[in-house]
Amino acid sequence: MSLYKNSYFLVSLVFHIYAPVSGDGVNLTVSDSADKLKEIRSLSPAAAAAAAISSPVFKPAVDSIFSLNLLSSFPEDLEISDYCSDLLHIFGQRYVAYVNCLVPAARPVKVCQNCFSRYGSLKETYQNISSDQMGPGNVSCKDSLLRSDRLMVVYLLYSNLKELWGKSNCDNCITEDFHSLTNDTLYFMATLNQTLTCFEKYQQGNHTELCKNCKSTYRDLNQLYGSMEKNHTMCIDIEDAMNMTRRLWSKNFNCSFPREETVPVIAVSSFMLFLPIIFYLSSFLHSEQKKRKLIHPKRARSYASLMNIQDKLS
Amino acid sequence: MANITKKVSWSSRADESGATGEGTPLLNGSEQPRHSRQIGRLSTVDLEEEMTSDEDSLRGRPKEIPHNEKLLSLKFESLDYDNIENQLFLEEERRMSYMGFRCLEISRWVVCGLIGFLTGLIACFIDIVVEELAGIKYQVVKENIERFTEVGGLSISLILWAVLNSAFVMVGAIIVAFFEPIAAGSGIPQIKCYLNGVKIPRVVRLKTLVVKVCGVICSVVGGLAVGKEGPMIHSGAVVAAGVSQGRSTSLKRDFKIFEYFRRDTEKRDFVSAGAAAGVSAAFGAPVGGVLFSLEEGASFWNQMLTWRIFFASMISTFTLNFFLSIYHNNPGDLSNPGLINFGRFESDSVAYNLYEIPLFIAMGAIGGLLGALFNVLNYWLTIFRIRYVHRPCLQVMEAMLVAAVTATVSFTMIYFSNDCQPLGPEHTEEYPLQLFCADGEYNSMATAFFNTPERSVRSLFHNQPGTYNPLTLGLFTLTYFFLACWTYGLAVSAGVFIPSLLIGAAWGRLCGILLASITSTGSIWADPGKYALIGAAAQLGGIVRMTLSLTVIMVEATGNVTYGLPIMLVLMTAKIVGDYFVEGLYDIHIKLQSVPFLHWEAPATSHWLTAREVMSSPVTCLNRIEKVGTIVDILSNTSTNHNGFPVVMQVTGSDEPAKLCGLILRSQLIVLLKHKVFVELARSRLTQRKLQLKDFRDAYPRFPPIQSIHVSQDERECMMDLTEFMNATPYTVLQETSLPRVFKLFRALGLRHLVVVDDNRVVGLVTRKDLARYHLGKHGLEELQLAQT
Repeated sequence: MSLYKNSYFLVSLVFHIYAPVSGDGVNLTVSDSADKLKEIRSLSPAAAAAAAISSPVFKPAVDSIFSLNLLSSFPEDLEISDYCSDLLHIFGQRYVAYVNCLVPAARPVKVCQNCFSRYGSLKETYQNISSDQMGPGNVSCKDSLLRSDRLMVVYLLYSNLKELWGKSNCDNCITEDFHSLTNDTLYFMATLNQTLTCFEKYQQGNHTELCKNCKSTYRDLNQLYGSMEKNHTMCIDIEDAMNMTRRLWSKNFNCSFPREETVPVIAVSSFMLFLPIIFYLSSFLHSEQKKRKLIHPKRARSYASLMNIQDKLS
Repeated sequence: MANITKKVSWSSRADESGATGEGTPLLNGSEQPRHSRQIGRLSTVDLEEEMTSDEDSLRGRPKEIPHNEKLLSLKFESLDYDNIENQLFLEEERRMSYMGFRCLEISRWVVCGLIGFLTGLIACFIDIVVEELAGIKYQVVKENIERFTEVGGLSISLILWAVLNSAFVMVGAIIVAFFEPIAAGSGIPQIKCYLNGVKIPRVVRLKTLVVKVCGVICSVVGGLAVGKEGPMIHSGAVVAAGVSQGRSTSLKRDFKIFEYFRRDTEKRDFVSAGAAAGVSAAFGAPVGGVLFSLEEGASFWNQMLTWRIFFASMISTFTLNFFLSIYHNNPGDLSNPGLINFGRFESDSVAYNLYEIPLFIAMGAIGGLLGALFNVLNYWLTIFRIRYVHRPCLQVMEAMLVAAVTATVSFTMIYFSNDCQPLGPEHTEEYPLQLFCADGEYNSMATAFFNTPERSVRSLFHNQPGTYNPLTLGLFTLTYFFLACWTYGLAVSAGVFIPSLLIGAAWGRLCGILLASITSTGSIWADPGKYALIGAAAQLGGIVRMTLSLTVIMVEATGNVTYGLPIMLVLMTAKIVGDYFVEGLYDIHIKLQSVPFLHWEAPATSHWLTAREVMSSPVTCLNRIEKVGTIVDILSNTSTNHNGFPVVMQVTGSDEPAKLCGLILRSQLIVLLKHKVFVELARSRLTQRKLQLKDFRDAYPRFPPIQSIHVSQDERECMMDLTEFMNATPYTVLQETSLPRVFKLFRALGLRHLVVVDDNRVVGLVTRKDLARYHLGKHGLEELQLAQT
């Protein structure tokens, strides 16, 4: 909740600061407001309070709620509507809920299966905020909440989480309406559980036993994973679970294929490598060497020219 | 030799010409068995003295020696770049209107556009087919390996892989070895020779193109250590030579267009455009393509041509781009500029600092050393191949063996590698092999070996730091170095660009990793991808020794101009270091093919040689009005396959020797004989059509051999008037002209014959082979020998 409060405070603060300065309300361009804000922020934060109070621009607002809040409120029409502030409030709550869910699900990764519903509701709220539809009292919160300042806190916060969601490919595992996991995912989870139970069952004894007994379920799981990989129906949860299982299988239980056929491979390759030697030797010994017939070109070699050379040399 | 001179109306000092034989080789028993003679200043005279005694015995039986690099082959001829300004030509020019010339100019542009378009299409075709076929192959092998990892029997997967590789390569090698041997290799040496002015037989034919394209697909799919970029340059050149002629002799179709371009001068310009388009399609580097043509064929160059070539390059890369975007299902996205796509280097990872420049230069030196080693090994291997592995079936077998061994080595490497890496999120690895790694991880060695070389290059450039461990990279560099060296020069069509890049990228990345580990704090500045790029440039520069064009190609392929400076420095260092030991790979192969290649300059210490020593003499001359029988006899003489004949005129009633009045080519004589342009016939049949330049063009470029022309006994007695057809003003030099002067004239004008005169009497003829035989060896000026190959 504290996060929400802070962000809310920040947003309102920013609104409060620039609105009177600009004079003509919300329709400011970003660069304009940025300039103005820079003007204000050039003063140090502590001094800003004092300066702002003494500054003539800020005069009309002095009754502050917070002790730090130098400018308590702006004229009615510049404030965000109640509807919007409610929306913002809901957004904050859902945001926190989602983040609270994400953090414990980080390792082993379960961000999709645990938190999809919360993401769904967060997304819904954000869509409400960003929709062009007018709320009660003919107000749209899109401009006032999302695009009124340089920082665009709400947008930034949401886009962070959206990127996270996109990276995790969770869409592939969740039904469109954020109601439940897809059947593929559920089936995969079931198979995974089967394998893991098998692992658990034989874990104590000899690992060769495990390798033998769990091979079929593990192979099924691998095949299922392979087919999902091809169909692009995978999300990070499945990938991570599979990675862990594979690591268990290969590294912990050491069930990878051993390198057993060294002798036949060496035999075949040395035979192959031997062939060219035979080939070159035999062609060297038996093939007739190619000879070139020399041609004697016609040259003028008069004694005069010979004499000339001798002259030149001496 | 003497019996040839009898037929010729050669009027100069007969006593001298009879006693000639400067080129007689010194291969009598007493001499050391070296095959090129050093022209020592003091030894010259001594050698001459010795020789006269052995001369007669030597002349009788031609000497045979094993093939080596110091030979010039007789089968190569010059191209006729020089305009033959005979009367027919002048007449045609008079007839041509202003509009005609404008149309010619426009059709040149059209041809260049077509060249670019078709080259791009071919590149696109190769790319798609390779991708599909390689995809199928790797999928099959991968499934097989996965199955056998579980149940055992991986040696069967190894055999399957080797057999698949060999099968593909067998197809590629058979079509090359049995149908068109000239299509072997990358084709860059051949195109270099063509642009230099050497007519390599069959190099720009349609059949060569087909074999080349199919061959390169087979060899890349066959998993050899090769790339498909070099052959694109050859393909572009063939397309250019074909399109510009407006007909195909192989298909026997004549579209009756672009007839004006049917001669070597025009064709050469288009071939350089085609080569540029090929480079441009291969690397997505239009400017690099233009500069490649400039670097290789720069002696014939002008501004308009450059602009046209650039046009062809752009069209080619655009075409490739467009069609690949359709193939990748996002039409209109033009981000696949070349066959090899180095991927985009992000701007923050490519940032380099001043203190890194010395490191880059050191890497350039390493690249030069490794490149020189590569070239030396390949040189010995190629000599062995030419001498012993020359039968086509042996060549096919060799290629198959290399393919099988490549698969075997790759498999063994992957099998014994312990380098496991977690699968990346984007699955940059196309065919990840797990083998004995933990689940969810893949074998890191397999990304380098179990992939087409281009993808391996890209993953070396762009994979995260830590994707490869140093041991993997070291082993990979070592094996791939020898594999690539062994592969280049096989009878398959394949390029050396990508393997070089791959080797370089591997050790470059290794350098980056080591640097990062030496400096404990500096793990950020030594981004392995950056060092992989520098290493790739160094290795490629060390092997092929191209400079300007390669820099631009690399810069364009990476799409990052800030890399220009380090890449340039690296290529410079690599070239300097490499040249200290041995020449570039392409030059070595040109030499080994005994091509009379003219370098930029004459050898440095050759000013004391004059045209008299250089020229061939005596010369077979023709009279201006010559008997048909004589001409036929001269042309059919197999021992002297002369191509140009000075035309002389005997001043009637005086004893003065005949004066030079023109030069005529074998091809012209053949056309004249075919059309029976005899003086007697012209008198009897007044209505006979006058021969035009068109008749010569129709026969171009495959003039019929003299044997196919039937001349009856009566006709042998007729006379032929050559006045109208000969080039009345051939280039001439005096006897005393020094070799560098002759060389410069020859090289700059693209001549084929240069007549040596003394007071307007013909004393000798300088051709390409006469000039190309001098070169600067380890012991001073050396002379190459002519040989029949």
